[in-house]
Amino acid sequence: MPKYLIGKISLIAWLTVVIVAGIAMPMVPSPTQWYELPIIPALEEKARIIFFHVPMSWTTLVAFIASTIYGILFLKTKKMDYDLRSVSAAGLGTMFCILATVTGSIWAKFNWGSFWNWDPRETSIFVLLLIYGAYFALRSAIDVEEKRATLSAVYSIIAGVTAPFFIFVMPRIMTGLHPGAKGDEGGSTPVAQLHMPANMRIVFFASIAGFTVLYFWLFSMKVRSARIEASSQQS
Amino acid sequence: MDFLAQHQLYIVLSIVLIIWFGLAAYLLRLDKKITKLEQSLKK
Repeated sequence: MPKYLIGKISLIAWLTVVIVAGIAMPMVPSPTQWYELPIIPALEEKARIIFFHVPMSWTTLVAFIASTIYGILFLKTKKMDYDLRSVSAAGLGTMFCILATVTGSIWAKFNWGSFWNWDPRETSIFVLLLIYGAYFALRSAIDVEEKRATLSAVYSIIAGVTAPFFIFVMPRIMTGLHPGAKGDEGGSTPVAQLHMPANMRIVFFASIAGFTVLYFWLFSMKVRSARIEASSQQS
Repeated sequence: MDFLAQHQLYIVLSIVLIIWFGLAAYLLRLDKKITKLEQSLKK
């Protein structure tokens, strides 16, 4: 097998194991085997969303922070390559943000009774989507490359600063439906303070790690194709 | 087939895995294509 393929095939295998474990590990009332998960009252099989939905949210944050860092680097060096990276990270972050919103919304219908409840976390992710929607609107409104890069770098810094607040802080200081919200300090569900059995935690962190690496792979492809596009436009 | 009829979760799992492998294969192909384009641009 060629060297460059080994890492990618390993990532695909890693995520395959996560998907199989996340979907197929049986849920039983009192687990005795290493592969058995406990039944969580009121969540039951729906608890499996944690293995896929939370990593989407996490990857969104990674991407938006990456976009901010590249924005800062662009302002410092004025190298157009950093602008390419910043916009690629923001694009992927928006995609993961939409995935987190849609998966959460489908789950909410069956657990909370409605697709959208304006719970603080739902509201904050919606605002985050609006912020990054405006980022792309801003970019498409400016024709001069240099000016577009500078303005969107400044915007990406401001937007990136709000991302951790919207993802980590706001949903925790307000009462809401999500685990970990104010009034749920004890963590009535296993997700809140990571009160979950060891095997569940392993799959959860394996999923977070796998999707983060997947993000970096997608990011590198996006940046490389954007570079090709830029160089073909120049010539 | 009887096994799948009794354990419906595995039907879901196999569908998800087919989609995942399809997407993964597409990503690998795309990666290869980008590498080829980069090489042809370098020349």
